[in-house]
Amino acid sequence: MKLSELKKGERGKIVALNLKGALKKRFQEMGILPGEEVSVERVAPLGDPVDIYIKGYHLSLRKEEAEGIEVEVLK
Amino acid sequence: MKEIKIAVVGNPNTGKSTLINALAKARLQVGNWPGVTVEKKEALLKEGDYNLRFIDLPGAYSLTPFSLEEKITRDFLFLEKPEVILCVVDTTNLERNLYFVVQLMELGIPMVLALNMFDEAKKLNYKVDVKLLEELLRLKAIPTVATKGEGIEELKEAIVKIYEEKLLPRSLSYGEDMDTLIERTRFILLKLNPEVDNSSLSKALVIKVLEGDKELLEKINLKSDLQEVRTYLNHLEEVHGIDVESYLADVRYGLSAGVVRKVLTKPEIKKITLTERVDRLFLNRYLGIPIFLLMMWFLFKIAFDIANPYVDFLDETIAGPVMKWCSKGLEFFSSPEWLSSLVLDGIIGGVGIVLSFLPVISMIMFLITFLESSGYMARAAFIMDRLMRTFGVQGKSFIPMLMGFGCNVPSVYATRVLEQEKERKLTIFLVPFMSCGARLPVYVVFVNAFFEKASGTVLFSLYVLGIVVAIIVGIIFHKLVYKGVSSPFIMELPPYRLPTLRDLRVHTWMKLRHFVIKAGTWILAINILVWSLLNLPWKPETPGESLLGRVGSVIAPLFKPLGFGNWESASSLLAGSLAKEVVVSTMAQIYGSEEEAKEEEQASLSEDLLNIAKNFWEKTLEAINNLISTLGIATLTAEEPEEAKGLLPRIQEHFTPLSAFSFTVFVLLYWPCFVYGIALKAELGSFRLYLQAILLHTLVAWFVALIIYQIGRILGF
Repeated sequence: MKLSELKKGERGKIVALNLKGALKKRFQEMGILPGEEVSVERVAPLGDPVDIYIKGYHLSLRKEEAEGIEVEVLK
Repeated sequence: MKEIKIAVVGNPNTGKSTLINALAKARLQVGNWPGVTVEKKEALLKEGDYNLRFIDLPGAYSLTPFSLEEKITRDFLFLEKPEVILCVVDTTNLERNLYFVVQLMELGIPMVLALNMFDEAKKLNYKVDVKLLEELLRLKAIPTVATKGEGIEELKEAIVKIYEEKLLPRSLSYGEDMDTLIERTRFILLKLNPEVDNSSLSKALVIKVLEGDKELLEKINLKSDLQEVRTYLNHLEEVHGIDVESYLADVRYGLSAGVVRKVLTKPEIKKITLTERVDRLFLNRYLGIPIFLLMMWFLFKIAFDIANPYVDFLDETIAGPVMKWCSKGLEFFSSPEWLSSLVLDGIIGGVGIVLSFLPVISMIMFLITFLESSGYMARAAFIMDRLMRTFGVQGKSFIPMLMGFGCNVPSVYATRVLEQEKERKLTIFLVPFMSCGARLPVYVVFVNAFFEKASGTVLFSLYVLGIVVAIIVGIIFHKLVYKGVSSPFIMELPPYRLPTLRDLRVHTWMKLRHFVIKAGTWILAINILVWSLLNLPWKPETPGESLLGRVGSVIAPLFKPLGFGNWESASSLLAGSLAKEVVVSTMAQIYGSEEEAKEEEQASLSEDLLNIAKNFWEKTLEAINNLISTLGIATLTAEEPEEAKGLLPRIQEHFTPLSAFSFTVFVLLYWPCFVYGIALKAELGSFRLYLQAILLHTLVAWFVALIIYQIGRILGF
């Protein structure tokens, strides 16, 4: 499942990053790494971007970018 | 006395700025980085036998830059060789902050950590074993609360101590394979660069070679050849199944998580923080946008309500006592007529108009600074991103654009936060459509001459028109010129925090100083130039025969279809291309040169000074009053400058309400001012782009004013 498909309030565990280049590197440096737990806290009023909670802080990214992050849903 | 060069670094939103402001107090020096225009803050402080030179580097998440600001940080750390690094970390978010710390440790420079926001961490029941942290990383760590100035003295002591001890941070193991790879690469680099000695070749630099950061390696002039370590590199990537960069991110985060596990104990249950609760409201699906619009409305309302009385005060003071006593002084020294005219009309009149709008611009910048440092601006960017994408920019472009309503010049600098060159360019191009404070005097004169009953509505419509035009131009650019590019939007949403007064003061000033410098230098020069052009050849019979008047007559026909094809408007617009606020002062000079007789008040200097003080107090009461009754109707009005009073009847002669509106629209949209051009050149490195911007804006202004005037005529206005 992709991070972009998680609904508001759902939690997931990152499995893989299907991204390339500078963006991938930046995501990794912001703590988006396989094995990490992530939750979707909020969706912006216009439907995009999303606010995720990871490594103890809030990060906002677009759904487009979240598509490249593979997660497995945690109950 | 020995000077210690200290680089102050840290992730964004760690309170780094607050800390440096608290450290420096009154000693803060604000300047620009050489070659680039990012604000540079420095402070020189005495501590024991040393002079401590603190250099504030832009906030960064990593030494692998993603934005231009991060590039500055990287370059400084690698090229300028600071003697101590002071890294500010947010104690409530230790793990991600330590990622950067681990990376900084690779530089092999003595380090001091400021464990900032220690009070917040305590409130969350976090317990940090500071001693253990120091020992594990081999550096000094000092709990600080920058907003209250706690831990500042201890920081300075720690810096001196670590400098004297020459204590280098621990070299952490990145795993056997990685360590071998780094050692092999180091060996090869030393062979390739015999002039480099082992101690100056930091682990960070070796990793830069492995990462292939060509830009930096060229600046350092380090030869590298990965061919010989290829086998080690391949081995690492095969065994671990990931590329070297992913491996590094993994291992650094692993180390920082490991350290956090050892030094930090925190309660199991996550407390629902205030930020959480506020965001439930502010970022609510349905309420988020209305609240955002309300915030923006209040921002402008409060700015104008508080500033307006002071605008009047400055007007009255400059046009009244200042003018009077300067003119008396000139008379006393029996200065020639041309000098008096230059000083009174050219300099005091012109610069006075500009300065009198300082209160509006200051208030706008102050409130923007407040929203920025409180954390709301990040939310505004979050809310606006989707919308702003449709016209080719992104959420982070919102802040520079909003600042544009104060002054366009700092807006240009504020685009530094945008990572993509194309988005920066487009944002910079669109910023002049935001009606800056300097255009207000022009509107005000015309609005008072023709639309006194509906002044608020007309002013408001001008601001909205600017935004609408920006959106249309943005969409066209996005679809035709910069098509298909979409850059990522990765932004931290920091917790809400109450900014300190000192921070607000410092950062408002950093935004404002561009305008003040501009008023003091360029506008002054331009006013003298305009005055000369109006009075050359010496003593023209009428202003129409002056140089400016003659050129104005030549281009006047261009404005005929827009409704103001007279040479007076054309000449003023010409002068205003350098700075829009000059439009009014030029008009005043053109029209005003005929009216002279002013009632002379007989007051002594001391009486005048007393009156000024009394007036200031009255205006302050008025501002407070405005603020209290701020819930009333929008008061987007400003009274006309005193010296423009004589201008009104003359303008009413030369314009109709429709052509006056068309004229103000043209002023709103045309020719971005010269100082903006300088900023653009500094940021984008090309003067040609300013010429393009001039062409674009003037054409847009011409067409929009044409449409308004012609449609207005058909409708019978």
